[in-house]
Amino acid sequence: MKRLLDWLDARLDFRRHAERVANLPVAGGASLGHGLAAGLVFTFVLLATTGLALMTVYAPTTTAAWGSVHYLSYVLPAGWLVRGLHYGASAVFLVLAVTQIARMVATAAYRRQHELAYWFALALFALVLAEAITGHLLPWDQRGYWARRVEMNIAGMTPVVGSLVTSVIQGGPELGQLGLTRFFTLHVAVIPFVLGALLRLHVGTSRRPGEGEASEPWGRRQMWIDSAFGVAVAALAFAVARALHGAPLDAPADPASDYPARPEWFLLPLFELRKHFHGALEFPGVAGVPALVGLYFAALPFVDAKPKASFAARLPVLAPAFLVALACVLFSVTATRRDASDAAYQKAAAKASAVAEASIAIARSGVPATGPLAMLAADTELRGGELFGKHCASCHVLAGAGDAAKATAPVLDGWGTEAWVLAVLHDPDADDKFGRTPFKEMMPSVDVAPKDAPPTWKGMSDDDKRAVAHFLALEGSEPGDPTKSVDEPRRELGRKIVKERCTTCHLFGGEGDDSSQEYAPELAKYGSLAWTRAQIANPATKATYREKATESDLKGHMPRFDGELSQDDLTILARYTRAKARGLALPR
Amino acid sequence: MANSNDDDRRTLLKRLTVVAAATFTGAAFGPAVVVALAPGRPGARGATRWIPTVKLDALADGVPKRVVLTADARDAFVTERDKVLGSVWLVKKGEKVSAYSTVCPHLGCSIDVKTGGGFTCPCHDSNFTSEGRCEGGPSPRDMDTLETRVDAGVVAIDFRKFRQGTKDREEIT
Repeated sequence: MKRLLDWLDARLDFRRHAERVANLPVAGGASLGHGLAAGLVFTFVLLATTGLALMTVYAPTTTAAWGSVHYLSYVLPAGWLVRGLHYGASAVFLVLAVTQIARMVATAAYRRQHELAYWFALALFALVLAEAITGHLLPWDQRGYWARRVEMNIAGMTPVVGSLVTSVIQGGPELGQLGLTRFFTLHVAVIPFVLGALLRLHVGTSRRPGEGEASEPWGRRQMWIDSAFGVAVAALAFAVARALHGAPLDAPADPASDYPARPEWFLLPLFELRKHFHGALEFPGVAGVPALVGLYFAALPFVDAKPKASFAARLPVLAPAFLVALACVLFSVTATRRDASDAAYQKAAAKASAVAEASIAIARSGVPATGPLAMLAADTELRGGELFGKHCASCHVLAGAGDAAKATAPVLDGWGTEAWVLAVLHDPDADDKFGRTPFKEMMPSVDVAPKDAPPTWKGMSDDDKRAVAHFLALEGSEPGDPTKSVDEPRRELGRKIVKERCTTCHLFGGEGDDSSQEYAPELAKYGSLAWTRAQIANPATKATYREKATESDLKGHMPRFDGELSQDDLTILARYTRAKARGLALPR
Repeated sequence: MANSNDDDRRTLLKRLTVVAAATFTGAAFGPAVVVALAPGRPGARGATRWIPTVKLDALADGVPKRVVLTADARDAFVTERDKVLGSVWLVKKGEKVSAYSTVCPHLGCSIDVKTGGGFTCPCHDSNFTSEGRCEGGPSPRDMDTLETRVDAGVVAIDFRKFRQGTKDREEIT
């Protein structure tokens, strides 16, 4: 080993370099304050390594980004950890940068020729904010997309150059593919390059002793403090990663959704600040106040230049700094608490997080090349539920959607099952069946005598009713359904009764007596997928109900949806309705 | 004499170095700047304008309905069939259908219906009447209305987008 090292040293001269590094002076002697700078360096390295690891999977396109981040978070073995570390380390960097600035202000560390070190720290803070802002867009999820969309619009309010600025940053008037590519480039190349250079300069200028300033060699004590900071920042990043089990991922970005946009935690003070400026004052407030704060901090080394002034004597000069810190905390708390007590916001946020959860579950089987929005649009549970809510729930009730008290069409929970058929045979005009539809009083009960019944009238026997229910429920079954016990003789009896007795009014396989009326629906395959889909597309094709079912004199009849819904949506809605009505699980 | 010649040569060399540096800088950054600025030109994105949405019958009188607009569209180098372009609120009053963009004219958040009628933006609490008129909040103008027509019973919308944050609406092209 020694020989190898000697061999290497003869060529690389690394021992002399190590010696040189160990003897580098640390201004003012070893301190925790200097350790903060080392902490920033270690965090930067952690961000770089985890960032590179993320780049081995991530794809910066609007159709692939979300899927690749999902893959990292939920499919790859340690992907969640790498994302979590990157996320945690970014928070650590932000906190360390703020602490470093606060420390330098509190101890007037910008004196003794350390102003540059202080200004570099300010720049580091601004750049890490830029990293966080660009980074949060990359998953192309709802939260990042909507927050950036609002921020780009704020940037667009800049007088004169507003639209030029936004179009250069996002590659056009709106946030889209080029915007994503540009944010990616800024995040992984441009900003880190500048950040790394500034960090190097910050460490150098803060440790280099000023004229007449005492110092001690780095290798004596500071090396151990710095090492401790390295371990500490790694531990912190791991703690964040573990606590969040990775990093958050919202539903895929959807520009047409009703997402209640909110910025990330580190931007809440600005979000709240905006609420206090209206109209023409909005841009000056939102951009001007932070600019003034920045100017104040940048000017502190000049304003607070009196050497040897006590902390108390410096208080008037430092007052604005305290005020800014207090305002940031207060604003964040206010914004969070307002949302917590805003019922409308909470409802919208709950809806959004349900979509996020569903998206994450669906994507486990992969995201199509057409992107995660196409994936969601093809999901029976999500899309079906949405379609039902939009198009059906104003009259029907199913799976919690719709208002049973106001429903003017049958409650669909249980529709097509044996229990449901039995209930209809007994009382078709119940409120939750056809009692509130224009079909009221068209179908007679099979076991309750009509008012003008002859003395010889006899209701259907329980056995016969059960046979009919058994038969009709099976008519609606599909190959994919869980297997049900079939009682063949009973089913045959049911078929016989339906064909003999029900076809007085109903159709069966297109045939029926059809003597008195033309309102009763087709019973063959009643409640099947094909029947359900045909009924939604157009209830008046004879496949389900007949021509008269959509005539205008039948006020309140079910409308057709084939002009309004796409072919795919019709299938999804039919699949959703049938499965939910029968209490079947939807495939995912 | 020799000295003056030497000085001339030095001056010339200095000038040549400056020219070389300028040439190199131009070559290195010129094309890069052109690429960075080029996509900002209008016309990089495009979509068909009249987009069919829902059937007129599907709209209940006075009840706003949110409809998603999809059309074949292009975003930079990607073309997409039935791309989601945005959404609008449709309000039917008698025979007339009004369409309001869901994009808040303030900063572009998604406008929702308000409990008790009218519209509201969840981001910065801009409020709008059921006719889209701004009544409080930071929005600089009313909700953006879009032209509608009924084609064979289906409501079609002349879909456009407008800049946010301006008092007068400016179309984004």
